[in-house]
Amino acid sequence: MSILQIHAQPSRTTVWILSWFLFATGIVSYFWVSRGRHIDNPDDRVMPTLRQMGQAFADATLKPAEDDEVSGNPDQQSLASKIRRSMLWKDTMATGRRFLISMALLFPAVLLGLHMGMFPYVGSFFLRFVLFFDKIIALSLLPILFIAFGIDELAKVMLIVVGVAPTIILDAFNLTRGVPKEQIVKGFTLGAGDFSITYRIVFKQIWPRVLNSIRLNLKAVMLFLFAGEMIASQDGLAYRIALLRRHMGMDTIIPYVLWVALLLFLVDFGMRTLNRKLHPWFQEA
Amino acid sequence: MIPVATARTILDDKTAPASLSTPTIICIQDVVVEYAQPGRPPKRILNGVNLDIQAGEFISIVGQTGCGKSTLLRLVLAEEMPTRGQVLVEGSPRKQPDRRCGYVPQKYSLFPDRTVLENITFGLEVTEIGVFGSFSPARRVRRQEFQLEAIGYLRRMGLRESDASKYPHQLSGGMQQRVAIAQALIMRPKILLMDEAFSALDPGTRAGMQRLIKDLWRETGTTVLFVTHNPREAVILATRVIALGRTGGDEDGANIILNLSVPDTDDEPSIAGLARRVEQTTFPDGAESDEQSGAPEI
Repeated sequence: MSILQIHAQPSRTTVWILSWFLFATGIVSYFWVSRGRHIDNPDDRVMPTLRQMGQAFADATLKPAEDDEVSGNPDQQSLASKIRRSMLWKDTMATGRRFLISMALLFPAVLLGLHMGMFPYVGSFFLRFVLFFDKIIALSLLPILFIAFGIDELAKVMLIVVGVAPTIILDAFNLTRGVPKEQIVKGFTLGAGDFSITYRIVFKQIWPRVLNSIRLNLKAVMLFLFAGEMIASQDGLAYRIALLRRHMGMDTIIPYVLWVALLLFLVDFGMRTLNRKLHPWFQEA
Repeated sequence: MIPVATARTILDDKTAPASLSTPTIICIQDVVVEYAQPGRPPKRILNGVNLDIQAGEFISIVGQTGCGKSTLLRLVLAEEMPTRGQVLVEGSPRKQPDRRCGYVPQKYSLFPDRTVLENITFGLEVTEIGVFGSFSPARRVRRQEFQLEAIGYLRRMGLRESDASKYPHQLSGGMQQRVAIAQALIMRPKILLMDEAFSALDPGTRAGMQRLIKDLWRETGTTVLFVTHNPREAVILATRVIALGRTGGDEDGANIILNLSVPDTDDEPSIAGLARRVEQTTFPDGAESDEQSGAPEI
């Protein structure tokens, strides 16, 4: 039996090996090439060794950030307080705060989509405009946002909202419209009013799907967040990556990129787990 | 779990069903329904339908696919408005569906995000408790009463108490419809509207459901409108069978082509005879003469 058949049945071990193969090849070939470059030129900055990256990461997590005015002897501080003064911690907090604010601002977008789907007047008022806005490339608005809102936090948060909110609104709208008519009629016949039907029947039913849609849009959120931070910011993970690029600080950039990927994975995983736990009735299909 | 003690008799006796002296509960007068189609003349579905239904009747509505059976049901439900004519329920026209009609559709009949028990009590909770202030002690007591009542209905529908905490997707199609009927009946609707409610069930389950709904109708005295495309099912259940069909061309829309009173009988030859008559009227050319009509029922 050929291994390239639709009906091929790889064993569990084979599946495990295959699924990790590209990771292993990537890592091995990186360090192979990196070692070669370092033999040629010990000062190579493009492909740092594991030891260099480890050192840079330790510096980023355990040494106080440059702008942190050191009080007392750094050696006497506890590990937790060292981490709290570190560059990575501060960057993560800054980015995390912007991320959370944007997520909070996406909640009204969900409600708007819900009402657009439920109430014909609200729908006809907003739908065309949101569809139009959805087609605008948010990054092209960046200069306008910076001019309109200044280059501080507001502009960055607005960039995310402008970039992701139309998608979320339209998703919530479509999910609302996708709730079978029978459910709404049933609600009326059981004595529910508009309010109860909107929130207790429809909203409750679409909520796990909305969470899912927000989860799938996390990458877009992060994309806009990073774009904003790279262009105009004094802190944040993307600011640091952009800053270190100028110094060819690959030994810090690579751990930072992996750290961001890990964080995003954890948020995604957390949301998925939470969604399953909170909504045992939810059938993803 | 909820303590077991039926709070009160579940389905209290109301007036005995259907006699001609009972008041008219649904009055359909010269109803025309047309659907607009872009760039073409509107498509006429129903063409001047007149129908009076007395309280306590069990009406089956049969007809070919697309002849307006479900449209007629949605008119009574007030989910849809007639283009011309009027539909009166208890003497007054309505703007949107309300508590007077219970509704059991073929699909999506339960709220997927609620357990069986929550599905059944939903109507009681939403009408009595509402959205706010549902945590006060008095409300908690009331909620327990609802749950007791719901458990009673659950038993009456032939479900086990252990099913109460299941979600709809964990139930079979037949069990889902049983819960849906309980959910509708707990609100004591004047009219129960069933739109192909048993059509997705396998023959054995279907026969059981038919027995159940007939018994419930006898117990409650609710007026039932039952849409089906199975002539035999129509005859077995109903006190009156209404067949819809087109008499003219395709553009004319459908009207009532048969209005047949059915005696309350278990006599197999007469049921078979009536079913044949309904079938011949409804499906004259034998077209789509129902895949389920050969299946054993009751």
